[in-house]
Amino acid sequence: MNRLMVNIMFAFIWMFLQGNLHLFAFFEGFFLGFLFLFITRKSTEPTPYFTRFFKVIWFIFYFIKEIIVSNLKVAYDVATPGYFMKPAILAIPLDCKTDLEITLFANMITMTPGTWSIDVSDDRKTLYIHAMYVDDVDTFIKDLKNGLERKLLEVMR
Amino acid sequence: MSFLDICLYISLPLIILPVLISLFRLIVGPDIADRIVALDTMTSIGIAFMAAFGVFMRKTMALDVALILSLISFLGTVSFAYYLERRNLQ
Amino acid sequence: MNLVLEIIAGILIVAGSIFIFLTAVGLVKMPDLYTRVSVTTKASTLGVGLVIVGTAVFFHDLAVYARSILIVIFVFMTSPVSSHMIGRAGYLDGASLWEKTKANHLEGQYDLKNKSLKNYYDKKED
Repeated sequence: MNRLMVNIMFAFIWMFLQGNLHLFAFFEGFFLGFLFLFITRKSTEPTPYFTRFFKVIWFIFYFIKEIIVSNLKVAYDVATPGYFMKPAILAIPLDCKTDLEITLFANMITMTPGTWSIDVSDDRKTLYIHAMYVDDVDTFIKDLKNGLERKLLEVMR
Repeated sequence: MSFLDICLYISLPLIILPVLISLFRLIVGPDIADRIVALDTMTSIGIAFMAAFGVFMRKTMALDVALILSLISFLGTVSFAYYLERRNLQ
Repeated sequence: MNLVLEIIAGILIVAGSIFIFLTAVGLVKMPDLYTRVSVTTKASTLGVGLVIVGTAVFFHDLAVYARSILIVIFVFMTSPVSSHMIGRAGYLDGASLWEKTKANHLEGQYDLKNKSLKNYYDKKED
């Protein structure tokens, strides 16, 4: 996290030195600062910042792709007559432990159209969700755990 | 008339018509929860409409309205839902 | 350059408004509260998101970028919370499920007197 602060500071310095407050200058400075930090890293000890940075970017793109795909699915169901959906209320066993992880996971489930989270059980081990396209209960739960939750936990830990 | 104006003449009716459609759900909706869902949808449509209207009038001021609306709508929805939940728990 | 930006902005705004329109249609078409909540998240993610991005592309100005990023962050942070709260309140209010719903793992798990929610997988191990 410390390196992220330094990197953002580099970006701001680059932006102010350019003299024009433009968003492009910020990204330019961020990229140059990232390169600078990468070159001057200690080669003896591993630094998680660089791999984690790419993981976060990758995860954001994965999540946007997920939103678009499920949006088109729901939009197709709405636009054509009749229903294709097979809704169900499911209980998902959670691997997330802390409050932040559970909150992020529940919000991400809600943000993708077609699924939304209802409640968390009191011992925080089960998340109840409502899903619209459930072909088979067990494979749906397995897909969600292997897809979104595993990728989220890879980023968070 | 530029390409953008044609796009806006298509999209502004497409954004306003949903307000009328969700008004139908607001009036008919069998439960209170259905009505709150319709209200929530109407406010998020309002955010998008203010942004598109700002492009239409070539004024950035409309974005301030959208920003305030995105803050207020959350409070309204949450207070309605909180009321509904408390009413059942007591 | 300006013309290209205008064309991109126009396409983005039209795409967002189509998603918003489909959301409202879905709000009337869907059979029960739960599927309606699922459908309405579409308006607040892709619909509002695309329109705001289109606006930012058109104005091409730092003040507008800052405001549109703020709007997108607010909408993306608050809309899941509000739809989750409506849905749970609706479930506690006793909103009926669609008759073709495949499974309901939540049935009988709520204890309204103690305001607690049991774990679904506890029951299986007994």
